[in-house]
Amino acid sequence: MSILEIKNIKANIGEKNILKGLNLSLEKGKVHAIMGPNGAGKSTLSKTIVGHYDVDVTGGDILLRGESILEMEPEERALEGIFLSFQHPVEIPGVSNAYFLRTAVNAKRVHEGKEELNAAEFLREMKKTAETLGMKPEMISRSLNEGFSGGEKKRNEILQMQMLHPDVILLDEIDSGLDIDALRAVSEGINAMKDGERTFLVITHYSRILDYIEPDYIHVLKDGQIVHTGGPELVAQLEEKGYESIGAAG
Amino acid sequence: MAQEELNQAVSGEYTLGFEIDIEQDTVPPGLDEGVIAFISRKKDEPQWMLDLRLKAFAKWQQMEEPHWGHLDYTPIDYQSISYFSAPKQAPESLDEVDPKILEAYSKLGIPLEEQKQLQGIAVDAVVDSVSVKTTFSKELEAKGIIFCSISEAIRDYPELIQKYMFSVVPMTDNYFAALNSAVFTDGTFVYIPPNTRCPMELSTYFRINALNTGQFERTLIVADTGSYVSYNEGCSAPTRDENQLHAAVVELIAMDDAEIKYSTIQNWYPGDENGKGGIYNFVTKRGICETNAKISWTQVETGSAITWKYPSCILKGDNSVGEFYSVAVTTLAQQADTGTKMIHLGKNTSSTIISKGISAMKGQNTYRGLVKIGAHAEGARNYSECDSLLIGDRCGAHTFPYLESKDPHGQVEHEATTSKISDEQLFYLRQRGIGEEDAVSMIVHGFCKDVFTQLPMEYAVEAKALLELTLEGSVG
Amino acid sequence: MKLATLRDRTPELIAGEWGLHPDRIPALEAFCALPFPDKKSETYRYADTQEIFDTERTRIIPQQGEVAPDPRRVVIVDGVVVSAPDGVAIAFEETDAATKGHFDPLYSLSHALSAPTIVLHPTEVDTLEIQHRYTQPDALLAYRIRIETTANTSVQVYESFFDAQATGSVILYGIDVRVARDATLRWIKNQTLGSTHSRVFASHYADVGENGTLDLSTYDFGSGQGLATLEVVLDAHAISSLHHLVYATEQARRGTVSRVIHRGHHSHSDQVAKNILRHDARGIFDALIKVEHSAPKTIAHQNNQAVLLDEGAYMASKPQLEIYIDDLEASHGSTTGQLDPKALFYLRSRGIGEEEAKKMLILAFANTLIDRIEDKVLREWIHQSFEAVYYGQSHVACLETCHGCEENALGAFSVNS
Repeated sequence: MSILEIKNIKANIGEKNILKGLNLSLEKGKVHAIMGPNGAGKSTLSKTIVGHYDVDVTGGDILLRGESILEMEPEERALEGIFLSFQHPVEIPGVSNAYFLRTAVNAKRVHEGKEELNAAEFLREMKKTAETLGMKPEMISRSLNEGFSGGEKKRNEILQMQMLHPDVILLDEIDSGLDIDALRAVSEGINAMKDGERTFLVITHYSRILDYIEPDYIHVLKDGQIVHTGGPELVAQLEEKGYESIGAAG
Repeated sequence: MAQEELNQAVSGEYTLGFEIDIEQDTVPPGLDEGVIAFISRKKDEPQWMLDLRLKAFAKWQQMEEPHWGHLDYTPIDYQSISYFSAPKQAPESLDEVDPKILEAYSKLGIPLEEQKQLQGIAVDAVVDSVSVKTTFSKELEAKGIIFCSISEAIRDYPELIQKYMFSVVPMTDNYFAALNSAVFTDGTFVYIPPNTRCPMELSTYFRINALNTGQFERTLIVADTGSYVSYNEGCSAPTRDENQLHAAVVELIAMDDAEIKYSTIQNWYPGDENGKGGIYNFVTKRGICETNAKISWTQVETGSAITWKYPSCILKGDNSVGEFYSVAVTTLAQQADTGTKMIHLGKNTSSTIISKGISAMKGQNTYRGLVKIGAHAEGARNYSECDSLLIGDRCGAHTFPYLESKDPHGQVEHEATTSKISDEQLFYLRQRGIGEEDAVSMIVHGFCKDVFTQLPMEYAVEAKALLELTLEGSVG
Repeated sequence: MKLATLRDRTPELIAGEWGLHPDRIPALEAFCALPFPDKKSETYRYADTQEIFDTERTRIIPQQGEVAPDPRRVVIVDGVVVSAPDGVAIAFEETDAATKGHFDPLYSLSHALSAPTIVLHPTEVDTLEIQHRYTQPDALLAYRIRIETTANTSVQVYESFFDAQATGSVILYGIDVRVARDATLRWIKNQTLGSTHSRVFASHYADVGENGTLDLSTYDFGSGQGLATLEVVLDAHAISSLHHLVYATEQARRGTVSRVIHRGHHSHSDQVAKNILRHDARGIFDALIKVEHSAPKTIAHQNNQAVLLDEGAYMASKPQLEIYIDDLEASHGSTTGQLDPKALFYLRSRGIGEEEAKKMLILAFANTLIDRIEDKVLREWIHQSFEAVYYGQSHVACLETCHGCEENALGAFSVNS
């Protein structure tokens, strides 16, 4: 069953046409990987799904559980269960990590008709989750992403993901700038979220991350379109022969 | 964000604009020697005080209203203002305070009794021209601390008043200080004896209530050798169409090894979005630090149509420390020209300035600050950080520092940035499911955090709520 | 004539008393509308206005005549163009065209008192060297230059000053420049003032057209008194890059006062000032960046660093931002202090004596602004000017009196380099 359906989407960034009629269907509970060369439109695709202000959608549609999300505000899409792990998480001085995440978690809970968590309940859960990701306790009270190393930022993204329980998880170059330990911690965090219900879209330039998060499907993105879809075996072919070996865009 | 939504988000309604319905004793508008004599008589003042007032009045008449601020306002007609207004019943104790006033204060979130007492804060409340209630005086007296209205102090502690009043802000310091010196009606006096730590937060609440009335309070705080005090003031005024003048003077004296922490939450009525009504706030605040002394000013300025104030430190003694932490918000059609002066005279003196300006709608926000390192202030240090945040394209943010150094061993550092809320930050928060207005408010709080952490806890909560109210409108 | 006689006069009265052409009335109106320069006006706070305005001086009215050919530069002696190279079109304009609204009253005054305006248009050369010479003591001299540029071209302007004989003189001069669209103007001003030299008040105005670039570097050295004011107006996508190096000694008073106005969208400005103050020298950096409502996407940065080397040195720094639009990026910074004690210690720990280590650090501090000059010869020339003042050599005097030396130094700087 498809949870997210991208239909013939066309999108511009500024004047430039990046996505050129892209089609993609994400199957519920599966791990999809999008691979493609630089400039193929990988980041634009994730930005389009979450409704980023840089992206101007000029055609097509995106359906979440059969409903179009294109008219939705970014926070509405988030509350509906879409989570993007940013390639470059922004730093927000003065806003503490805990205060921010509690606001987000409670927004989600209110949306789901649940009671808000009080500060103590929330902190307990946040500390526990942070610990499993190997994060230092002081990261909780520090300003959001401010002065975090590359690895700390990515762990923080995973922490938010685990606390927010999203249904569709977009991971944009999750492994960029990570050393081997951080990569392991981050992928363990992601794998812990796999429950047969959640859907993942792993966007990556390199196949390294796919050794840690095993994909069910591989989609090759070239020049704004999905040009090929296959199973995990495609990774080896891409490794060996490169993106050139996959058929040109139609 | 669509502009209308933004405007709605930042035009938080002024919720303290109610009028207290109490009987007022008010002099007709106008200012002459007769009015000054009337004020002095009403206050039961000694002759020497009246003489000083008249002297200040004579000087004021020869002075000119300053116009160097980045402010645009209709000229003030000093003859159309009433210079004295008091609740008719002068209360002697809390039981006698008009219940309506007490009710007004609890509406303001300033219950004179239970709450602040529970929190251990001593409160002096000034409505229009008169101090209506000072709490905790007895408890403080036991430690030799004087906390009373300035009128009482003039009667009861003439030596202290004669010694210290006008010693930091001379009566002719500037036009508005001279006016205040002539007509000041009430205010607070604090004296902390040597080596005494004031056991509780001291607080004064000012409210302009009567129509066409100016408020001219005068506050004097003397912290004797080795003492410590934390003092807070808050203010509000009813919603009115015409402008009202507030010209206060605050003098702080921190003797050797003493420390004064002075916090202000200023929430005078700001007028409407077309610039109609609102308080004209022209205030002179200055403190002097003797050896090893410290004065720390923290202000959260959200109200007033016009704000003109520069809480300053004269760092006279060696190793003395001056601090200025400020959040100034201008929205609607508000204009603020505010900052500080740090005058380094003593050796190894140091000062820190953290100023955060937020402009929205048609608000114009100016930081103006002077840092002066004198030739004998060997090893003096200053660090200033002045950041401005703009919300919307019709507002303005201006940064005018004056940095002067005569000391080759000193260091003056100033940094300033001006920006809008970054789209990237806003988007990040929204992607996590936080609504746009909450996200804006979260970023603004983050922006102000360095200043809010300087406020005593109860006031930090109040300041945060006030900022939210000012900037967010219906968002709760 | 005494400049003080201008105080409290109407424009018409001044025009009559000073024998000025009626078309100078608008400039006089602009002058009279601003506060008369005195100790109270921020810009002139340290300029000894009393001495300047109350001293009787002989007014020199430049009489333009034949312009002799010159192999490489425009030479202006006491406001008179005496020689110029072939590729520069020269005109003298009787009617005045002062820009209205300039913040400096002396800008308007110099427009009012000068006659006629010298218009320089480098038509066939890409470098324009202007040599200002002042020969009269106790004189009052006002003259103005306008530089025209052509769209899509790049011009290098180099200004130098020789004034050792003009003791006690007051010079009011300035350049108005219009940087045409897509044009680039690189402007280097090299001025060493001795304590017995003239007092030079320069007041400039630059209007930078769409996509145009103004790149100004000023090098102010020595013990004399000087003040330079500059107003820059930036059109859409225009760039202004201002750099100021001041090394002032003895009783020097040096002021750099600027207003950069972002009027067009996507305009870009940066400004860096470094003041090195020795003895009892005073430096003033008073610089405003104004971003008007019509200038979204502006980027503006400003930085001032000052080093006070001696007890009597004094720096006044006023970096200012005045902003009327939210979609921009603006910042400024200012530090006043001493040489970095850590760096000093590091050098000394390597066996370098304290004085020598200080010199190294001062040179390093100054060099970042000198080394940005692309033209090798000009760069070398500024280095020489700086070192001449720094090491107290009479290098500059030598340049002025000994022609062999001067030709030698300047020879490599050909108009076609």
